[in-house]
Amino acid sequence: MDSLRELGRRLWMLIHRRQFDADLEEEVRLHLELREQDQIRKGLSLKEARYAASRQFGNATSLTEKSHMEWGWEWLESFVQDIAYGTRAILRNPALTIVALLSLALGIGANTAIFSMLDAVMLRSLPVNDPAQLVLLGNGSSSGITDDFARTQLYSYPFYRRMQAENQVFSDTAAIFSMTNSVHGFVEGRNESEPMNVQLVSGTYFDTLGVKALKGRTLNDGDDNSEGDHPVAVISYAWWKRSLARDPNVLSHTLKLGDTTFNIVGVAPPEFFGTKVGEAPDIWVPLSMVKEVPPHFGGYKEDFSESLLIMGRLKPGVSIDAATANVNLLFREILINFAGTKLDAENRQKLDRAKVPLTSMATGLSSLRRQFSKPLRLLMAVVALVLLIACANIANLLLARATARARELAVRQALGARRSRIIRQLVTESLVLAVAGGALGIALAAIANRLLLSMVSGGLEPIPLDVTIDSRLLLFTVAITITTALIFGTVPAFRATRPQLIDTLKAGRGMPGAGGKNPLAKALVISQVALSLVLMVGAGLFLRSLVNLNNVDTGFNKENVLRLNIDSSSAGYKAEEPRAFALYQQIEERVNAQPNVKAASFSAFTFNEGAWSSHVALAGKIKKDLEIMHNVVGLRYFETMQIPLIVGRTFSPSDTSASAPVVIISEHTAKTLFPLGNPIGQHYRLRDDGPKDEVTVIGVAKDVKFNNLAEEPANLDYFPYMQRAWGFGDFEVRYSGDFGTAAAAVQQTIHSIDRNLPITHVTTLDEQVARSITDQRVVAQLSVFFGLLAVFLSCIGIYGVMSYVVTRRTNEIGIRMALGAVRSNMLWMVLREILILVSIGIVIGLPMILAGERLVSNMLFGLKPTDPITLVSATVILLIVAAIAGYQPARRAALVDPMVALRYE
Amino acid sequence: MHRDEIPPGTLYLLILKTLARANEMHGYEIADSIQRISDDVLQVEEGSLYPALQRMLIKGWVKARWGTTAGNRRARYYHLTALGRKQLETELSQFERIIGAITRVIQTA
Repeated sequence: MDSLRELGRRLWMLIHRRQFDADLEEEVRLHLELREQDQIRKGLSLKEARYAASRQFGNATSLTEKSHMEWGWEWLESFVQDIAYGTRAILRNPALTIVALLSLALGIGANTAIFSMLDAVMLRSLPVNDPAQLVLLGNGSSSGITDDFARTQLYSYPFYRRMQAENQVFSDTAAIFSMTNSVHGFVEGRNESEPMNVQLVSGTYFDTLGVKALKGRTLNDGDDNSEGDHPVAVISYAWWKRSLARDPNVLSHTLKLGDTTFNIVGVAPPEFFGTKVGEAPDIWVPLSMVKEVPPHFGGYKEDFSESLLIMGRLKPGVSIDAATANVNLLFREILINFAGTKLDAENRQKLDRAKVPLTSMATGLSSLRRQFSKPLRLLMAVVALVLLIACANIANLLLARATARARELAVRQALGARRSRIIRQLVTESLVLAVAGGALGIALAAIANRLLLSMVSGGLEPIPLDVTIDSRLLLFTVAITITTALIFGTVPAFRATRPQLIDTLKAGRGMPGAGGKNPLAKALVISQVALSLVLMVGAGLFLRSLVNLNNVDTGFNKENVLRLNIDSSSAGYKAEEPRAFALYQQIEERVNAQPNVKAASFSAFTFNEGAWSSHVALAGKIKKDLEIMHNVVGLRYFETMQIPLIVGRTFSPSDTSASAPVVIISEHTAKTLFPLGNPIGQHYRLRDDGPKDEVTVIGVAKDVKFNNLAEEPANLDYFPYMQRAWGFGDFEVRYSGDFGTAAAAVQQTIHSIDRNLPITHVTTLDEQVARSITDQRVVAQLSVFFGLLAVFLSCIGIYGVMSYVVTRRTNEIGIRMALGAVRSNMLWMVLREILILVSIGIVIGLPMILAGERLVSNMLFGLKPTDPITLVSATVILLIVAAIAGYQPARRAALVDPMVALRYE
Repeated sequence: MHRDEIPPGTLYLLILKTLARANEMHGYEIADSIQRISDDVLQVEEGSLYPALQRMLIKGWVKARWGTTAGNRRARYYHLTALGRKQLETELSQFERIIGAITRVIQTA
């Protein structure tokens, strides 16, 4: 209580300190005058009286200062003074300041930007109630629909219901459809369809998460208790804002998805983006409507249509181990009790092998995380190194400046300034620099974030990720800023105030121990070079990886192919209907007839679009060890993609639903299925097909890349859609001439057939292939950028140190030249020193690279981390650039006029 | 005339006691009073009175107000607070304990 009052009085003093000082001064003046009068009364002369009074009083200045200090604000006042002084000192040296601020801003900005991505993708918890209690069955790595027995990643709707009813460990259980439906739907009363991302979820979804509606209600279990008759939708805040302009009467609106009209029953709160980081659904619809929402997946009542992710909220006090045990027990029980389960030897084995892991859902699901967690961690390390280099650089610059100020500092110390006080002042200067750099860095990060997001999005719509600078990030930035200030400020401050006053005061120029020896500065340069080499080699490796990926032979010709998507299911076409087939035929026919089109075809997949795969039965026996990825294509697919046929024929108009089913297989499939003899004319069937659906091989096509560029040749086969219905989908056009013209003409043709067909993702095949290596490209681009930045910063370091060395050795150089040394000798002397420094840096850097090898080896393609070309070229580049940086100081050394140099002393 | 430095630490006690005797005093009066009552033996470096007074203000032992002197000059008058009186008692008893102890040591000799 007393100490609180005391603090109050101190604060009062701080606020009114001018008044306090004036009061004190008046008090002291009165005291001296009264004493003076007293002495005069005792018979002293005026002069004597004044002298006696002030002698009796003591040192007035120091005493008032002491009185002032009693209030305990001295530290704050000197801190404010230091900041003011530091700012002035920094402004006095603009060149140094600009270099320091720029490198700091880049360093801190890059760290903040990468960290904000890392945070958004990997660290941030879902904005839901108590996210730490949420767990997922499986690890969330799969999406799609399968009918495989005892899968531990995806589950059927009946399985979810049984699990929900029978488990003893979850207070709530919810299911999420593993894919988002990209639908083109209609807002009631509008004629144009618009894209909507629909997420199908169980009725318990929002309650399990503890998310309350902003308006209206969320979904509930009642919306999900019978199939097909609950046309209700909850919309996201972002979509409410974007598409409905925050219409307050939103709850009276309806949406038309496919043939079904949905009532909007609620709006989700603004911060809620669903449970997948990087995917923000616009609309949530209960799973009971799974068949109604295009593309009409279905499977609500099928025990083995596994397409759901299941999450649960752990009951309080239930450990993850207990929950895992309970879930696995139920997993067996539920599967065994399904009516359709055939417990043959194979399924038994699957069941015995299956183990459902529980994964924390605290940070949500994310495919983005799988793709980018490694690159982001790597980039975080890279930018941290860049910041270290920047720190070393600034430390070096400050060191040089402290040297120039050595006399000033020595004089101040000689006059009685405490060493700690001067160190504090110098560190404060660094802090001023760091804070200014940090502020610039944050501004830079805000821009860099947007750039990064668009790089990561690979040229598509920006991924919905919140990377705005929030208080957490600010805290992070402030922390690294202060750390950097301490790193680069402390060492020079201690060095500059080394207690060797006499030497410093005597010496003509700056610091003692002359002769240009400055081991600390050199050590800093060496470490910069070592770190730069690491970053350069990293950049080189990733760049070469990217080049290797770009040079991969895809097997198809990706040039001059236009590809687009038509959303035929949203426009009301169902795959099995004759009118869908007629639509596809008509589009192919009309587009193929266009003058600038060489070939055009539909296909289920082109490249990097997922897959439909299954086992096949050969001569009646299912080959369990082999899965084939299937594609369903149009008549002229091979012509469009320019995939060469090795033997046999391609599809012809005579392959119809009435004729015998045919298939074209890839080279690799031919080798696996028919290792001996001619594959043409051989038969096999898909596991799910009946025995009479056997297909006959009519051709073998060259192997192509299907999922990614790095994959080995895969087992592929192609069916004509004339014989196997498919709801498209992808449309590819090999065109000649200008892309824009061709794209416009093709879209116009499609719309002339059905003007309501939504067309999306109009791009080139080349672009689509490039997009599949977005993560590698981002890593390569950023690591090259930061590698160059690191080298640039190191060059500034080398230049600074060598300039300093040359200045310090002017005398020596003068003497050498007076004694007959040639200018070229001097040039070489300086350059040699640089080369020695850089070589030491390289020798230190190489083991660091070897140590880091394992971290990057599985991110590289087509080369090893010890790739000699990269190592050698990085080293050579570093040497050349260092020599260029050192050339200017070296030339200055060579141009020293011996007379001037000698006279200087 | 020989003057003795006051023993360290007793300055607060002297100021507290001096103020306790009067209603309120300004700085010069305190210094003068200490000097006169001690028959000029105790010599306060007068200036050091002021840091001490500032400290006592912070501690809440004294309060100050601006008033006018007999000679019609503005001066800061200090007076004891309740806390100050308590402090005086503590310091007094502490002082007496020490002086008593010192005296006993000297007398046993």
